[in-house]
Amino acid sequence: MKPATLGAKLKLLLIEDSPGDARLLREYLAEAAGDPFELTHVDTLATGLEHLAQGGFALVLLDLSLPDCFGFDTFTKAHTAAPEVPIIVLSGRDDEALAIKTVHEGAQDYLVKGQADSRLLVRAVLYAIERKHAEEALSKERDLLHTLLNNLPDRIYFKDRKSRFIRISRAVMEQFKISHPREAMGKTDLDFFAPEHAQAALDDEKRVMQTGQPILGKIEREILADGNVTYALTSKMPLKDKQGRIVGNFGISRDITDIQRIKDTLAVERNLLRSLIDNLPDYIYVQDAEGRYKVDNIAHRRLLGVTSDDEVVGKTVFDFFPPELAGQYSRDDQEILRSGHALLNREEPVLDHAGNRRWNSTTKVPLRNDDGQVTGLVCISRDITERKLAEEQLQRTNDELERKKEQLQSTLGDLQHSHEELKAAQFQLIQAEKMQSVGRLAAGVAHEVKNPLGILSMGIEYLSKTLAPTDKNVPAILADMLDALKRADAIIMGLLDFSVPRALASQPEDMSAIVEQSVALVRHEITAKAITIERDLAENLPPVYLDKQKVTQVFVNLLTNAIHAMPERGTLTLRTYLRQLQPGEIERDDGSRLAGKFRSGDHVLVTEVIDTGSGIPEEKLAHIFDPFFTTKPTGKGTGLGLTVTKRIVELHGGSIDVRNRKEGGVIATILFKVRAGGEPAAVTPRQPWGT
Amino acid sequence: MEKKKILIVDDESSFTRMVKLNLEKTGAFEVREENKASYALSAAREFKPDLILLDVIMPSMDGGDVAAHIKNDRHLRDTPVIFLTATVSPRDPLSGRVNRAGELFLAKPIGVDALIKCINENVRPPADPEASK
Repeated sequence: MKPATLGAKLKLLLIEDSPGDARLLREYLAEAAGDPFELTHVDTLATGLEHLAQGGFALVLLDLSLPDCFGFDTFTKAHTAAPEVPIIVLSGRDDEALAIKTVHEGAQDYLVKGQADSRLLVRAVLYAIERKHAEEALSKERDLLHTLLNNLPDRIYFKDRKSRFIRISRAVMEQFKISHPREAMGKTDLDFFAPEHAQAALDDEKRVMQTGQPILGKIEREILADGNVTYALTSKMPLKDKQGRIVGNFGISRDITDIQRIKDTLAVERNLLRSLIDNLPDYIYVQDAEGRYKVDNIAHRRLLGVTSDDEVVGKTVFDFFPPELAGQYSRDDQEILRSGHALLNREEPVLDHAGNRRWNSTTKVPLRNDDGQVTGLVCISRDITERKLAEEQLQRTNDELERKKEQLQSTLGDLQHSHEELKAAQFQLIQAEKMQSVGRLAAGVAHEVKNPLGILSMGIEYLSKTLAPTDKNVPAILADMLDALKRADAIIMGLLDFSVPRALASQPEDMSAIVEQSVALVRHEITAKAITIERDLAENLPPVYLDKQKVTQVFVNLLTNAIHAMPERGTLTLRTYLRQLQPGEIERDDGSRLAGKFRSGDHVLVTEVIDTGSGIPEEKLAHIFDPFFTTKPTGKGTGLGLTVTKRIVELHGGSIDVRNRKEGGVIATILFKVRAGGEPAAVTPRQPWGT
Repeated sequence: MEKKKILIVDDESSFTRMVKLNLEKTGAFEVREENKASYALSAAREFKPDLILLDVIMPSMDGGDVAAHIKNDRHLRDTPVIFLTATVSPRDPLSGRVNRAGELFLAKPIGVDALIKCINENVRPPADPEASK
């Protein structure tokens, strides 16, 4: 290593206060072959230091005894000012010991004045420069090594043949928790690690030293003596001397405990995830962009009818499902891959490996790589067959219930209808029972009342014929008494009519004619009140079988009521006509007046008596057929007219209806059935002759 | 002209009296009242009426039973009987008559004229002395 000697001249600085010595030294140097030196001479340390500060000197020749400094101090100052510049100390004979001391402290050499010649001086100068350069280079190497050992986080060690530490880096010290490398010298791994790890490491090192083959990149689980566990990535290599003989081993290991922990954690999480996936009853799988299975779980394999993932991975839905289903799945998958949108809770049919049709609720989510590109999808799917079946069952049950409800409603409707009919029947029964009671009462009353009436009647007649009319009022009084008696008798007769039904003396009759004859019987009352009669009587009516005398009584009653209800100059309308009962008319008929008597389609003969009178108060309409019910003033009616009228009509199998007209007044409507064969109405008396 | 003998059987004495007064007032009838049904038969045997007016409902005996006894008596069986009753309505408001099972009924109350008319129609003509022999 002599770079400075080649090319430019070597600049030397001579710090020497003795002019003679200086001249001598200059001469010696000038004798050097090739004149390699350029000498600068100064005679004080201060001036010398100034030159050094400017730099560029290859060596300093330093006299220790200078005017401005003396002895060892002189060296110290010069060396401190330019430590990189080699110094040769010039000493006298008497202070050689001091000169030797400077060499220990960093001077390259010393020359005793008077003993040196040119050859010695030039050689000393060149060697000093050479040595300084080598020292610098070594120092640099050493600094690098130290830097490495002191700063590298990786642990570096050197060991001898017996694997005893001979050098360790600071990272090793920190691992061993020691403060100085000395504390590790001569010790082995057994002193710092738990035996199981230490022995394994020593065995590795032994093998490295025996074979000369390094161990590279081995992950070691290190257990320290205190039980701490760390992980290291270690390489061990044989340590060789200059002759290539193996004299030990060295190694470098990096603490990868954190990485290992992360790896362990990842492994745990992976295992957790795996066992979760495998133990979930849901079907889980991952597909790549081509629809090939990448991962799946046990449940999914069970669905497909396979046991190992080898049988699934790399295959597609087309390998396991019929084309129709597989096509649908594949289209869904393609749509997810294309759009990047998840498919959530799709309820879809599926066939298991045994061919059973089941239902799944499927969620498919696109799987993206780090660049956000969709590279596949994850599917999680749940068997909802039971739920689906339950839903279907529920739906069937609901439908069944709905049907039952309708049936129930229809039954209820029937029941209500039956109830209505029952009510009507009950009403009729009650009416009949009422009639019978009244009948029995009437028979009893009639007998008890008629006997006294008989006596009175005979008595009055006797008096009328024998009593001399001393008072002109007597005949009139007797006549009034007889009238009153006859009225009382009329009531009794009405009662008996009512109580004792008789067989009808029926024969074919013309209704219009009966109406005319009835009008004739009340003619004098019609005339008295100047009532107008309007007739709308149909001609050529079919003959009706009835008891003329009784039916006449009916019309006389109705006409009498109408006349009594009207003021003077009212209008009485009489109408007869034939018509056919329409379907539904009987059902619509309130109060079931027609029910049980007629059928839809029956031909009926209708007779109407219509007045323009005051009408009947609505609250009394329901009672007009009750016995002894009358709206007439006392003495004007028996209260039996309409009762008997109704009785007679019903004996003929007919019906009577009395209601108020919107225009005012009352309309009484009587219906008799016209029998196809013209046979008489057969009505059996309800009780035999009474006495 | 001999008076016609009429027996009236009715538990109501006021009524029988009124009938008797009214009929006898005409001068054409001799009327005997009997107010107990049980005595009706013996009264008839004794009185030998041309016609019997018989009430139907009486406390001790029914008018029908009395009529049956009369029909069973060989001296009385041809004597006409007119029932007087309060239990029927007159079919014919003018005459007050009702025919039932061949029997003649008159409804109470009955006018005197109607009663006399009915009696005259039903009483037998005077017995032919020749025939009775």
